[in-house]
Amino acid sequence: MSEVRIAAEPRTEFGKGGARRTRRAGKVPAVLYGHGQPPRHIALPAHDLLHAFKTDAGTNVLLTLELSGQTELALPKEVQRHPIRGSYEHVDLVLVNRGEHVSVEVALVLIGEADPDTLVDQQVTALSVKADAASLPDRIEVDITGLEAGHGITAAQLELPQGVELEADGELVVVQGLAKRTVAQMEADLGETAEGTEGTAAAPAASA
Amino acid sequence: MLIPRKVAHRKQHHPKRTGAAKGGTRIAFGEYAIQSLESAYVTNRQIESARIAMTRHIRRGGKVWINIYPDRPLTKKPAETRMGSGKGSPEWWVANVKPGRIMFELSGVAEPVAREAMRRAIHKLPMKCRFVTREGGA
Repeated sequence: MSEVRIAAEPRTEFGKGGARRTRRAGKVPAVLYGHGQPPRHIALPAHDLLHAFKTDAGTNVLLTLELSGQTELALPKEVQRHPIRGSYEHVDLVLVNRGEHVSVEVALVLIGEADPDTLVDQQVTALSVKADAASLPDRIEVDITGLEAGHGITAAQLELPQGVELEADGELVVVQGLAKRTVAQMEADLGETAEGTEGTAAAPAASA
Repeated sequence: MLIPRKVAHRKQHHPKRTGAAKGGTRIAFGEYAIQSLESAYVTNRQIESARIAMTRHIRRGGKVWINIYPDRPLTKKPAETRMGSGKGSPEWWVANVKPGRIMFELSGVAEPVAREAMRRAIHKLPMKCRFVTREGGA
């Protein structure tokens, strides 16, 4: 679990104009809420936030905010990014306490080698779990060693770190083994497509 | 090829090409993806061509997802026709793609293979694109 200290400052400008001015000044607009308190609009230094999200915990990093002479513990709840640049545009932060159990999405990482004739189909990339806010797991490992076609691994079969409870449905299939396509199937697929292309190229057919 | 089975209006106005993608900007299914960097109309033939280029390269392994759908008809008037006399007949089906949109996803192959497969697919597409990988190690 990573914990990063960030100096935040209260934000007085709102709306898209104010938010853009904040971003131009090298800061990221954010909102801090939770524990029944009214929401507080803040600005976080963009560079420090980028480094915080680059830790192993990713966007589940526990932030210690230094705000108006006080310190607050917060977890990112929603992160908005620019579609092309990938820069952080806005962050929703939720207040947490040490020892408080929170629900987060933790990334799943596949380890091991599946059967050579199996195509590994990862159906879920992040799993919803409940854990202590101060000791959230960075990732959950899914061992796919020897996974065969027609078999799968459900959420209930995963080995979770101590103190972490599964919140997602235990029957949820996380990884599935599919049979690799045969050469004949692949050629048939490509052949059919080539014929289809010639057949439908002349006039688009869709009835009104 | 991808063609809508039924449409409400056979002839439509040209879709807007301004702005950036509002959704579908992060990888949802696979490990690797092609992301558009410009706006363009991608025809169903281009989508199919890109898919075939990828499938040929990855051979038996891997799984491909197509995240865009050519649901907008574009019309064209016949050659050497005088102006007027109504709108031309539907000629192409296109997907209106904005910058940032994830168009194709791929999984089940090593990164160098995926990179090369997608490089070949990008050559079939009408706009600048880039290869992206999933964040968070998954």
